[in-house]
Amino acid sequence: MTHEPEPNWIALEHFLREGIANTQYADPREELGCAPDAEDREVARELVRSAATYDIEEIGTESLNPEAMRHPSVRPPPEGAADPSFLGRLSASGTGDISVEQIDDVPTILAVLRAGSRKQRRAALVRLGERLHERPAIPGEAVRAATQTIAELRDVEIGYELARLRTELPGAPGRKARNEDERWKRLAAETKEAIRRFWDGQSSVEPIHVLPGDDRALLLMRTPDLAPMVLNHINAIIEGNDGCVPRESRVGLLASLQHATDRRLVPALVAVIESARGELLAEAARALGGIDDPRAHPTLVERFERSIVSEERVALAGALGMHGDCRGLPEVRSLLQQEQPSSILDALEAMESLGSSENSELVVRFVDHADIAIAVQAVRTLARISDGRVLDALSDRYSTTTVPALRAAIEDALSAIAARMELRGEEVAEIDWSEVGNKPAPPEGSRDSLPAIVFGWRDYFMGRVWLLLGRVNWAVARFESAARRRAGWVAPLIGMGMAFARGEQYALALPAFRRAIELDRPRIERNPILVRAMAKSFLHRAEQVEREGRNDIARGLVGEMLTFDLRRAPGTVRFELKRKHDVLRKEEEDDVHSAA
Amino acid sequence: MSTRLREAAIRHLRALGTTTPGGSVRRLTMDIKVDGQIEMVSLSLRDGEVQCVSSDGHNDGRHVVAALEFVAGLTQRDDSLPPGTEESTGWRSLKAPQQSDLADALDELLTAVTRVGIDKARYAPSVDAALECVVEVAAEPTPPGLGRFIGRLRQEVLSGQPRRAARILEGAARLAEALRVETPTDASEQRVRAWLGTRPGSVPEIELLHDRTMIEVAREWLPGSKRASVERRYLIDLTAGAIYREDRPDQAAASLGPCPRQIHVGLAEVEPGPAPQRIRVLQYEVRPEVPAESWSRLYQVARRSFAQLTETYRREVQAYPTLAEPFALIAPYRIELNDGFVAIDSEGHQLALERTERRGSVLAFYDLLNQGLEPAWLAGRLTDFGTNLCISPFAFATRNHDYTRL
Repeated sequence: MTHEPEPNWIALEHFLREGIANTQYADPREELGCAPDAEDREVARELVRSAATYDIEEIGTESLNPEAMRHPSVRPPPEGAADPSFLGRLSASGTGDISVEQIDDVPTILAVLRAGSRKQRRAALVRLGERLHERPAIPGEAVRAATQTIAELRDVEIGYELARLRTELPGAPGRKARNEDERWKRLAAETKEAIRRFWDGQSSVEPIHVLPGDDRALLLMRTPDLAPMVLNHINAIIEGNDGCVPRESRVGLLASLQHATDRRLVPALVAVIESARGELLAEAARALGGIDDPRAHPTLVERFERSIVSEERVALAGALGMHGDCRGLPEVRSLLQQEQPSSILDALEAMESLGSSENSELVVRFVDHADIAIAVQAVRTLARISDGRVLDALSDRYSTTTVPALRAAIEDALSAIAARMELRGEEVAEIDWSEVGNKPAPPEGSRDSLPAIVFGWRDYFMGRVWLLLGRVNWAVARFESAARRRAGWVAPLIGMGMAFARGEQYALALPAFRRAIELDRPRIERNPILVRAMAKSFLHRAEQVEREGRNDIARGLVGEMLTFDLRRAPGTVRFELKRKHDVLRKEEEDDVHSAA
Repeated sequence: MSTRLREAAIRHLRALGTTTPGGSVRRLTMDIKVDGQIEMVSLSLRDGEVQCVSSDGHNDGRHVVAALEFVAGLTQRDDSLPPGTEESTGWRSLKAPQQSDLADALDELLTAVTRVGIDKARYAPSVDAALECVVEVAAEPTPPGLGRFIGRLRQEVLSGQPRRAARILEGAARLAEALRVETPTDASEQRVRAWLGTRPGSVPEIELLHDRTMIEVAREWLPGSKRASVERRYLIDLTAGAIYREDRPDQAAASLGPCPRQIHVGLAEVEPGPAPQRIRVLQYEVRPEVPAESWSRLYQVARRSFAQLTETYRREVQAYPTLAEPFALIAPYRIELNDGFVAIDSEGHQLALERTERRGSVLAFYDLLNQGLEPAWLAGRLTDFGTNLCISPFAFATRNHDYTRL
């Protein structure tokens, strides 16, 4: 075999591209200086040797190619391109023809806050804050409406922005938010110190993994304010580089980051999506879907195209939907049509970001589902789709259900749909709450005798006194006595539940709260302090029994709590309850599958 | 040799009364006392082979032998013979005939790809079959070098880059030649080692590092014989700016910690081979918060001459066309952002961004540049586009040491 000193690069590239079997353009043996009867193996060897040698020698011999410098211009499609209405064209980032930043009218901003997509709601909240700073220029009534909305909004998806804005409010809501802010700062500082001890080897306990659920949710709700060291530590857990956190806890952590917006999380989430499988991947996709970052869309697309597992594909489809890419919609629709029990909940959740009014008929079928978690998710999805045609179906369901959580979800959905109709310029459906649903039965008149009332009050008062003096057992005995004297009186039971909850005796708090709920559910659900204490008791007790390995009981506790109207409970507690319920539910499904 | 520790362990285990059937030992670190001198010995299982090193720098010294005897349980036996020259599992299935089989399989793959051409290779059953054959002939699990070759080849075939594919195939052809050589030379042995691991009976050339401070600036998942086979971390030695890669195959152990992190390396092994050189960190301390002075030091050791960088890159790719994936830390003299990002050194040489790989990271980098961030240094994998050297961005920091991982 003889070698030509200078092979023609154009010919080499042609052979590499088209193959040496294709001799239409030139004979590779002749070009490469091989013998006419040389085997393909020899020709191939000579071809790659010549091409590689030439190619490597050429590096750096020419000035910069403008093609190599050009800005890569491929961006994900704009969000909501398919919806030509005002809300569909409303840009959250200021790039479209109508942007949230340009809206000055406070009622319109408030409507976007109720009915917009997650990005639109975030942008609307920021805009509302800006408008409130221009207070003299806007009418007092609008200021009051805005302040009230900010104080009462219970949207966990925009919890971070909401918490920040609330600290600027005057009065009690502002004070409460600033107290919460201080609590977060203390928690963040303690966690940072614990992380330092962990990596120094002074502690073998990973500090975020062992936090109580609501504290972890509170800490992670405000990821943008976390110090770089804490964020890097969270990334290490996500990537599995901490050396001690089990896989289930990594899944839990990712689920807690579902509403995080911090771009610093993106590299770790991308790494998980590239390398992990199953639940870990699904949770990472949900978290990445909510982060507005150019790295998110290509990663999700690439993984979606090569994943074959239904659980992964549904989560990836939903995450892509959050970035305005609806390529997974047919698959999610198909899953809902098949009504496979294992995938309904995930598919409905994905439909929140993928669905349009064409899908509302498909989703509305699940509002009557026997599983309350599925029914509530269906209502939430309908609230996001916001098709006015489902108003009747939702009103009917409101009238027939006795589950407070479902009724609360329907109330929120009806408000969101009304707001969306307003923004679309459609006739706004006025919802007459006095006609919707069964009214709560008026409390029956007291039939207690006068001595029972007097002695009951005496016992109750003594119980309060003992509580003040720190004698919990004596106080509980007095409360029990008061409850015995007056069978329909809820106050002693609440006192008992609160005393146990404050003492972190959650197993004892539960029966007291349950008895109180039986007597007067609305009173507890409407009182933010009571509902918070009750929800936290159930959550912490569920965590305790879960640690003991009794997952079924934990799931029952969390599920029981999720049937209540928790709108007045803190967002972090609600979020953590739902997250824990999802995790335990999936564990149970896995157990069933493995048993089968 | 005294085995009081083992006896105490047996007693303690009986007292605990439980077992862990699923557990497997990956690494042991122990203090061994020989003639009054105590040394720390680390034994670890990698790719089916045991790697030994002691804190005196020897990997076959008295302390290491004593540790091996302890682990092998030889001291308890009446017929305690010294351990024989057991072959590593990586090579057990790759003796002389199989070596030529692997060489033939690689040649077959090269022929299959060049016969149909890069444009059609992704659809060609002959290429798939040849790739499967390479994997089948190689030892199980697929050696990391060979796995990375498969991953890179698949990637380039999919992206339709004939130049890079040719370079990757050239590296495989050189390996085939090295496997067939009857009298191995240092160069051929080193090549085989880089692809397939240490051959039984041969002594690996390992450089030991002591007491170094390093910063991990970036990490990524890379495809091998399967997608996302290896997590690669890029560590920069603050002493001289040397860049190392720490490869963590899927489900395997490596050093722990977030990215970025500062690690004080008590003991590490560095393998000679393709750039960046592979490091195995054996003893280390992690500091999750990188101090400002370390960031300053990192900036000082960054490469400033792009002409030299190009020359180094060319040399490294020439040596290992398939396995070299040079990584660099650069400190540009200035940056231009007209049509796109261009880093310029003090001599006017330019370095562009690689825009075909890691597209999302490039877009994120542009977003941050447009927000006004000015990178003092940029870390990334070097590659070439046409005849130009490019950098695929992984991380950067401003002069205020604000680090961003991309």
